[in-house]
Amino acid sequence: MKTTVNITINGESYEETIPNRMLLVDFIREVAVQTGTHVGCTYEGVCGACTIQLDGEAVKSCLMLAVQADGHEIKTVEGLATNGELTPLQTAFNEHHALQCGYCTPGILMNMDEFLKKNPNPTEDEIRHGLVGNLCRCTGYAHIVDAVKDAAGK
Amino acid sequence: MYPATIEDYVRPATVVEALAALGRYEAGDALMLAGGQSAMQAVKTRLLRPRCIIDLQAVAELQGVSAGGDGVRIGPMTRYAALATEGSFNGAYQALNDAAARIGDRQVRNRGTIGGSLCWNYVAACLPPVALALGMEMELTGPNGSRTMSADDFIGGPLETAREDDEILVSLNLPAPAANSGSAYKKWGLVTDSLPVIGVAAMLSTDGSGACTSARVAIGGLGDGPRRSAAAESGLQGVSAGDGDGIAAALQAASDETETQSDMWADADYRKQLIRSLGAEVVASAFARAAN
Repeated sequence: MKTTVNITINGESYEETIPNRMLLVDFIREVAVQTGTHVGCTYEGVCGACTIQLDGEAVKSCLMLAVQADGHEIKTVEGLATNGELTPLQTAFNEHHALQCGYCTPGILMNMDEFLKKNPNPTEDEIRHGLVGNLCRCTGYAHIVDAVKDAAGK
Repeated sequence: MYPATIEDYVRPATVVEALAALGRYEAGDALMLAGGQSAMQAVKTRLLRPRCIIDLQAVAELQGVSAGGDGVRIGPMTRYAALATEGSFNGAYQALNDAAARIGDRQVRNRGTIGGSLCWNYVAACLPPVALALGMEMELTGPNGSRTMSADDFIGGPLETAREDDEILVSLNLPAPAANSGSAYKKWGLVTDSLPVIGVAAMLSTDGSGACTSARVAIGGLGDGPRRSAAAESGLQGVSAGDGDGIAAALQAASDETETQSDMWADADYRKQLIRSLGAEVVASAFARAAN
């Protein structure tokens, strides 16, 4: 029923005994109390708000059990800035007003952070294609695309 | 949506260990988890209520693509993101690049696997029709040894395959292609990269003059599961890339012979139109790739 796991989140290791059925997003939010990672679609895997990076790759943390992350490194939105200094992508989101309510923002940042590492000079089509897995219900995509474009190469 | 109680979680390092874990449970009580992008949905909705999860992430022998003179071997745990950019498929098996690059979204492609998709065989999945069109061979290992079967025999109706509960899909094999072979896949859905309302995969080989000597065409998004179109395959024989009428006739025959369903996404006639229009695009692309 339970398994002891050791999961590193933003550089800090969490050794906990957890139910096997616990979703990774709940481990992040409720066990590690890193609540920047959001649950938008009640765990259906369609909204992308729970996107985190698992060993550097953007994945949806509601589509994984926490036990699957045992021994792995996770980065959440709290892990982007270093000593309070925002990344160029975060700064661009601020400057381009790329968020209204902000609920989808952590997932988009974690997806686009990895996207820009793999494709530092994307076209607008590539950016829009990269955002398919993240819903923004304020429909702020135009500003989000502008921000990602601006952050590219920085 | 939350999983029911899961008694046990195991992470085998080898196929042998995975089989041993599988053998400890009654049929259907243990769920092998590949990328989990479909299976976890089923676990969360409790369509599946496994007592044990066997997580295949650490089984190295199930991962990666290797290409040689005798063809291509794809580990079932190879992720879509890796398949999308895999360079060894060349023209003959390029339908795999097409399909993998447009499944779900970036996050899903970072995690989802080809073997998971083929074993799940969802009605609107992209990889099953591609496997049918490419003539993929599936290798399965179970307590009584290994067996190999064609994708035609492996893939059944929706959510059905020929894999037994105590077997693991261990390898996906593509034979060395004939010279001048090309393949392509394309789908149409209501939003970008969504599950296909219809998806069409085609693989063609041509002779020196560019005429088609063999064709395999498969259609996904059908109510009774993905299937090959005998009418399209025979109709394309002898046809060349420039023969628009010949290609259109083969695809008309394909749409005539295929039973399509009406649902909230598209009606039956629209699905037949998609078979013709997507079919024309993938056949043109497959011819072009066969010529390179």
